[in-house]
Order: sequence, then structure tokens, then C-alpha cells
Amino acid sequence: MTHLDTDVLAEFRAGLITGRRGARITAHLAGCDRCTALDDRLAGVSVLLASVPAPAMPDSVTQRLDAALTAEVARRDSPERARGDGAGESPTPRRPRENRGFRLLALRVLAPAAAVVVLAAGGYGLSRINFGSSTSSTASTAGGAATAGGAATAASSAKSATRHANAPAAAPAGITPGNIVVVTSNRNLSRADLAQQVRAALLVPPAPGSTETARAQLRGCVLGLIGDHPPQRVESVRFEGRPATLVVARTGQGDTAWIAAPDCSATNLHVLDKTSLPSGISGP
Amino acid sequence: MPDEGWPADHELLRRHVAGDAEAFGELFRRHRDRLWAVALRTLCDPDEAADALQDAMVSAFRRAGDFRGESAVTTWLHRIVVNASLDRLRRRAARPALPTGDEQAFEALVAQDGDPARASDTRMDVDAALRLLPPQQRAALVLVDMLGFSVADAAAILDTSPGTVKSRCARARARLLPHLAHLQGNRSASESVSPAQGGET
Repeated sequence: MTHLDTDVLAEFRAGLITGRRGARITAHLAGCDRCTALDDRLAGVSVLLASVPAPAMPDSVTQRLDAALTAEVARRDSPERARGDGAGESPTPRRPRENRGFRLLALRVLAPAAAVVVLAAGGYGLSRINFGSSTSSTASTAGGAATAGGAATAASSAKSATRHANAPAAAPAGITPGNIVVVTSNRNLSRADLAQQVRAALLVPPAPGSTETARAQLRGCVLGLIGDHPPQRVESVRFEGRPATLVVARTGQGDTAWIAAPDCSATNLHVLDKTSLPSGISGP
Repeated sequence: MPDEGWPADHELLRRHVAGDAEAFGELFRRHRDRLWAVALRTLCDPDEAADALQDAMVSAFRRAGDFRGESAVTTWLHRIVVNASLDRLRRRAARPALPTGDEQAFEALVAQDGDPARASDTRMDVDAALRLLPPQQRAALVLVDMLGFSVADAAAILDTSPGTVKSRCARARARLLPHLAHLQGNRSASESVSPAQGGET
């Protein structure tokens, strides 16, 4: 069999090639270093894309949308609109009741403080992002990359290592679906009495500078787990000694806590453990 | 029953349709950074993205009563933003100077700064590389690989089948590979993979 074409490999990775043809590709990959390397680099494309932080909406755009929204509300509330004089674009001078403006701006506190810029350390051999690094230091992420990616990766990770541009200032209370803030801790949770350990964890406010904005994969994972429920805490921890993410959300009377595996994503909600906490634990 | 301080998306939409003046703003605010990211990355132009997002927001505001709940509210919002973005691209494509597929512009962008360790460069390089993709492939890849949507959700947003989403993402990744290889410091990558390889079938 000749070497695999990039497009063919990409389709194979996406699950589009199965059956006998898929089996042939699997067999070829098992014996061909060159195509395996290509396969790793292809996997690295998705890893790299997921590592690019989502851009925060610029203030100018926020202001523009605020104005447009205010105009829309005014337009809807105005009795004039029924006449259909085509003046929908210009809000009437009359202020709609209770309309104190729609301050997307006022909620800027929820946006990431342009904070942590994290490059996925390591090379194309890195098959997953290590979310479980126990501290926010460069060394831990580079170390994770070296473990996962092998020797070739380790060399490059020194160069393109993780960088923290600024100390993050965002508090975990600022968690919104658009912006999941992750607390980094050294906490080691275990399966036994998990609920009690989580309860203790929630009582401790995160240390200053220990938070960062979740990257796409983790964000997908968290949103997939919590659904419509308000998140209380997302914390990078260790579970039974291995990297994991603690996710807590208010799910009705009480809270639910999940321990997500490092490969948990929107498409693969990989949960290592789950427990429910009675009401009144995680907040006022 | 959802929390008082965090009503579900569909509840906010219901309140908006019922005349609540604050509900839509709350809903939009909740998802705005992701919606912005989708518009910006699909259009590769902040001004166009702002226009598209405003069009989409106004459209969603006015058409909220049409929402029938076949999908999640977020899916519906993203669909409106993606459609507004692709509409703009189509209109732009009708004029000359199509921004996609311009390999020289890409090389120029990448060559601007030689320091590979800076995160902003990575973002810039990724942005430049995304421009090389046809809009439909780019939209699919942004949703799945960059924003973490499942293939099924991305298919609902793009109003197409999961198979088509997988196929668009696969082609997009193959296309981007030679252009992103340098970000990983893997020198052999750009040598062993020909950018021209693999047709758009």
C-alpha cells in the first residue's frame, strides 16, 4: 500500500472511512512511521485550534450592540411602530418604561481580563491538551506535553512553551457560559467521601492569580455537563492522583459535582465520578 | 426548576416574547463572546463581524416568536449568527477581491513577526490560515475545533448533516496542516506535506 494522503487520513480520523477500507488504513498506520507521524500532526491541528483563546468582544462592538438593542426595545415598546412608517431604525424619543439601558457593558466584569494566554505546549505528537497541570507554572504544562508527546515534542515545547501574559484577575463568580473560568489548585480528591471533599473545596475561595479562562475543549465539556444549570466552580484538580477537572453546578435543590477526565469535551463527556451535594453548600 | 438568578435560556426567550424588556439582553449577553468568536472567525474581519453580529442580534430579537424549541436556544442563536456571517461572505464574494485562498497574503501576514513563542502570533497565524479555507469549511471547523461544539450541534447550526460537517472539518484540517506546522516547531512537517495535495472533491 502506498503512503496515505493527508485528505484520506483526515477523513479517516473524522470517522468517514470505515469497513474494509478503514481496516486497510488501520493496518497501514500500524506499520508505517511516516504515516503515523502525519496522523499525529493532523491530530495536532485540532489541538492547536482548540488552544487559541476565544477573542473577547471589543468594547466598541459592545457599545454598538447596546445601542442597537436599546433601539430595538424602544421600537417594540413604541405604539408608533404599528403605523409602519418605516422608522424602525430610529428610536422614538420616548423612553420605554423601566428601560435603563441594556448594559452588555456593565457586565464586562464577566469577560476574561484579557488574561491568560496559553499556548498548547508541545508538538503535533501531543494527542490531548493537559488540563490537569497542578500549578500555573510553565514547567508543569511543558512536562505534561513531554509525557504525552514523546521526545520530539519535548524539545520543541521548551521553545513554544506556555506563557502567561498577565496575572488573571477574573474571579470564579464571573463564570458565564461564554466564559468559563478555571481555578487551578493542588487539591487531590479521592473517590471515597467525594461529596465532603468537594464541600470543603467550595468553602475555600480561589487564591489570587490562580484562575484562567477555559479553552475550547474544556468549555465544551463543562457546558455539556451543566446544561442550563448555573455553574458554581470549575477547578483543575487531581483525582485519585491523576489530572482531572472538578465541575460544580447548582442543579435544583442542591448542587451536582462532576469529576471530568482530561479528555472530556462537548462530544465526549468523559466523567470519572459524580456526586450530588445537598442544598446550602456552595453558596448563599 | 431553574435557579432564580440563572433562568434557563428558553425561559429568557419566553420572557422576551412576553414583553420583558431585559430578557433578550440577558440572553444575548450570556452567549455574546462565543457568538462574537463565531462571527469573527467565520468572516476574518472585525468590522464585518460586528455588522453581522448586529444584523443577527436584531433578527433574533424580532424573530424570537418563531422559535419553536426544536433545538436549544444557543443552537438557534448560533445559527442566526452563522447565517448572517455567511450571507455577508456571499455578498462580498459577488464583488472582486475575495479574501479566501490568498496564499501570498497569508505568507505576508505570517512573515510579519518572527518570534514563534508569542501567543498573539499563534492567534494571528491561525487567523491567517483560516482565511485560506472556503467559508463553509471554515464555519464548520470554527464550531467544532475552536468552540468545542459536537458534530451534531454544529450540523444543527449549519443546517446540514453530521456527515457533511465531518467532511468539511476533515478537508479543512488537511488544508491547514502545512500552514500550521511551523507553530509546533516541527520542521519536517512542511517538507513532507505538499500544500497543493488533495483536491476539493
